[in-house]
Amino acid sequence: MEMIGHGGKPLVERVIADKTEAKKKIAGLKTMPASRQMATECISIAYGFFSPLEGFMKRADVDAVCKKMELADGTLWSIPIVFDISDQEIAEYGVKEGESILLTYDDNPLAIFEIEEIFTYPKDEMAFDVYGTKEEKHPGVARTYAYKDKFLGGKITLVNEPKIREPFTPYFLTPRQHRMKFQELGWQRIVAHQTRNVPHSGHEWLMKHAYIAAHGELPVESMEVIGKAISGVLVNCIVGEKRAGDYIDEAIVLAQDGLKKYGYFREDIHMTTMTFWDMRYAGPKEAVHHSIIRANLGLTHHMFGRDHAGVGTYYESYEAHRLLMSIPREKLFITPIFVLEWVYCPHCGEVTCIGLCGHWNEHQKFSGTKIRSILIDEVKPTRLIFRPEVFDIVMEAAKKYGFGSPFVGPEYLAKAKPAFSIEPL
Amino acid sequence: MAETYPINIWINEERYKELQAAGLADLLKEELAGMKVLAVPCTAEERDKVLKLFPMAKFDAATTKSIELLPKYVKDKIYEMVVKRKKLNVMSEFCHLFERAGDAFWNQEIA
Repeated sequence: MEMIGHGGKPLVERVIADKTEAKKKIAGLKTMPASRQMATECISIAYGFFSPLEGFMKRADVDAVCKKMELADGTLWSIPIVFDISDQEIAEYGVKEGESILLTYDDNPLAIFEIEEIFTYPKDEMAFDVYGTKEEKHPGVARTYAYKDKFLGGKITLVNEPKIREPFTPYFLTPRQHRMKFQELGWQRIVAHQTRNVPHSGHEWLMKHAYIAAHGELPVESMEVIGKAISGVLVNCIVGEKRAGDYIDEAIVLAQDGLKKYGYFREDIHMTTMTFWDMRYAGPKEAVHHSIIRANLGLTHHMFGRDHAGVGTYYESYEAHRLLMSIPREKLFITPIFVLEWVYCPHCGEVTCIGLCGHWNEHQKFSGTKIRSILIDEVKPTRLIFRPEVFDIVMEAAKKYGFGSPFVGPEYLAKAKPAFSIEPL
Repeated sequence: MAETYPINIWINEERYKELQAAGLADLLKEELAGMKVLAVPCTAEERDKVLKLFPMAKFDAATTKSIELLPKYVKDKIYEMVVKRKKLNVMSEFCHLFERAGDAFWNQEIA
């Protein structure tokens, strides 16, 4: 069955699943190690998370992305997907245009890289065009400046599929597997909740708001029976490079799934999965990128709250909404759902939306900072604010995976194993 | 009055009873659906000192204007000092005692 991804093009799948065939294809190739970031992007390209990209971008694509927010063929695209390399590495590994090399990870075969182009691109221009600033304290800009001086463009074919470690194993689905799961569930409309957080009730209500908006005019009658939902919420957790103070990935994924496990969402309308991606904190441009990934997963709708994927004060709270609204509908292969903040109102005695409740002077905001502070103090919040079972999951994950903390600290950064490994072929 | 920057110590049921018994429950504020918090104030000078002594801590300048990410053992010790002194303004003494005793401070009882 052909699956259509972002840009209205067939979903990219460049994976050699047969090990004997893979061994034949890589025989005699020069090898070059890939960094963790490059390895995860190879995996994402090959499974189609970045469809219609078939490999790392060539100069024409990078230039079009930076200058026009599209690929060279006109498909909407907002963030360059590049493979950086130094002159020394080019010489050391004998990298040449027109040849293929075998990328390795953990010293094991990962992917065939067909080198079509070796090129340079001004990093300060790339940073400014994507992030709107050249300040190195912006983490995306710092990442861009840290790129080596040359880039390799060309197709990627995965020859060795990643092994996902526990507790992530059941949460990693390829775009094809996502779509098959949605079909199995009978979901006609699916709304994405993009997250890097453990969920408090404010997040839970954002998801409920987005779910109801996405379900829209579809019939509800069948939903009087559990198991007959025709729409759903996909919590798609971003798993990638961590910074000190971030929630650990294990706590995020398990706590999000806990909302379904403990009935805060019906089991037939909620699902948690993960996508490998190193956050660029590109705010509005990152929102566009998230919409592309989720269109490739087969989702129909995507929730966007305030300050989507931003950092510091680089972007205005609703800048991502404005950029998404400016994109012609035929170029964006997913419907954005814009949501306002949800708060606790002591007058109403409930969690409510600032767009609905009139007790503005009494609202208590769900500050992420406050929630973190509560978790550090290991004080179980009231259930209106944070579900007790979810709190227990977070604390358990802290003990089991976070060296005692639900937040990334020096020990986690030094010792935590990546979410995937590449085993011998 | 000069602006102050709180260290928020969230209070569980057990500590709430302890504070009530000590007649200190009125030091608490209620936030987020009735959660109780002890907001220990720092002057700008104390804030800078805390951030220097505990580099893992961060000052949230953008939203809450509070000192965050202090480890639990540090906040537990601040709580202990608030209960002993029966007042919230303890950070100057806290920093001073920590500077004097170093890591041994964590095992000492507040006199």
